[in-house]
Amino acid sequence: MSDALTAEVDRSACKGHGRCYMTNPEVFDCDDEGFPIVIGVASTAQELSDLERAVNNCPEQAVSALRV
Amino acid sequence: MTELRDAATADIQYDFDIHDSNAADDLFETYAEMRNRCPVAHTPHYGGHWVATKYDDIHDILRNPTVFSSESVNIPGTIGQDGPMIPIEVDPPDHGIYRKLINPLFSPKRMADLEPQIRALVNELIDQMLESNRVDFVEAFARELPSRVFLALMGWDIADASRFNEWVDLIVLGKPGASEEEATEVRTAAAMEVYAYFAEMIDDRAGSDDAEDITQILINGTFEDRELTQFEVLNILFLFLIGGLHTVQGQLAHTVIFMAENPIVRKQLATDLSLVDSAVEEMLRWESAICPARLVKEDVVLGGVQLRAGDKVLIPFTSANRDEEKFDNADTVDIAREPNPHIAFGAGNHRCVGSHLARLELRIAFEELHRRMPAYRLDPADPPVRHLSQIKGVVKLPLIIGESI
Repeated sequence: MSDALTAEVDRSACKGHGRCYMTNPEVFDCDDEGFPIVIGVASTAQELSDLERAVNNCPEQAVSALRV
Repeated sequence: MTELRDAATADIQYDFDIHDSNAADDLFETYAEMRNRCPVAHTPHYGGHWVATKYDDIHDILRNPTVFSSESVNIPGTIGQDGPMIPIEVDPPDHGIYRKLINPLFSPKRMADLEPQIRALVNELIDQMLESNRVDFVEAFARELPSRVFLALMGWDIADASRFNEWVDLIVLGKPGASEEEATEVRTAAAMEVYAYFAEMIDDRAGSDDAEDITQILINGTFEDRELTQFEVLNILFLFLIGGLHTVQGQLAHTVIFMAENPIVRKQLATDLSLVDSAVEEMLRWESAICPARLVKEDVVLGGVQLRAGDKVLIPFTSANRDEEKFDNADTVDIAREPNPHIAFGAGNHRCVGSHLARLELRIAFEELHRRMPAYRLDPADPPVRHLSQIKGVVKLPLIIGESI
């Protein structure tokens, strides 16, 4: 099992603050309305720490990290 | 079990007036006292209303629009708007329909296209400031930038910035020292001029069809299967103006006051501009301008206090963001703070639609300011003057450029 993580966004909780794609562009991009799209996985130490930041900075607690 | 408290309970009364600018200087002490003593407090002002000051309570209120309606977000109920400001004074499901139209206008990608233009506006203002070593930062920069950016975004004439500044000052601040009735009169008159300007912009676009023009997109906009009325377009534009000007102005000025008074933090930022993103978030947490209200739609208990249908509750974001239960050392600025899930832009359905634009303006402004004028200080003989109201801000900020404390 790899240590890589991906993300899941709770669509009903997410309100498009954008903190996830601001802190972690490797894993998140945004759509035309400003809502996040999960585009990748975090595998390096830096990416994993950025993903943790994305989870903890979300004001709606809408982001969680999942094992790939 | 402790007894439920209500509007008549003596120990949750707190004499708090959101429009008393004399309270601005001690505001954080006031909110800290309320969070400790009566986190859901009752104040006698404006016919009596509630003030919730804890992060978790404010967060719950923001995410429960069925009970805590946005149909009236001001205390007192009007700032001169004619009908509800759209979409901030609209509840679900209609709110979501308007946001679907408006969100793309302020999307991060669309805002990123404005970056060169905003950077040029910022540098133009800095050029002018650097011509002298003493400026009023509000007049020279903080008030000018957001109104010019607003006009640039709309594709309207940037030369009209000073007219907008005057109107929005009157709408937000009313008439300091005047009676509530007189203040409302001043606000309404200014709002009427704003509507007349907007109506002119709408008329100018008759027959044109620019797919990128925001005014045009709104004119062509639909609500489900009908076209937006002119009344709706005007109230959407009115909100863009109210939401975009004093908010960013206050944020710029509050940050510069802090940085002038805290040269170690300022130097930390000026020598490592890669900190600007987290510094912007931290300053948004540390001083959050907006303090909206919600209208209680059904009897509900909040923090052991009985609220009744028809009550209004004020929810100062800046108090939530200083809550020690949510943020360690909440009263200390750490421009690398992690994590920082502040709610300066609100939370829930009404998350500030202009947040991506605001962040971009703040980021560019603080990058360029600290790159080009890394040293500045307050004038000890002429200290800054703050104002309260539901958008906290700074009236005057005399600054000495090129010196540091």
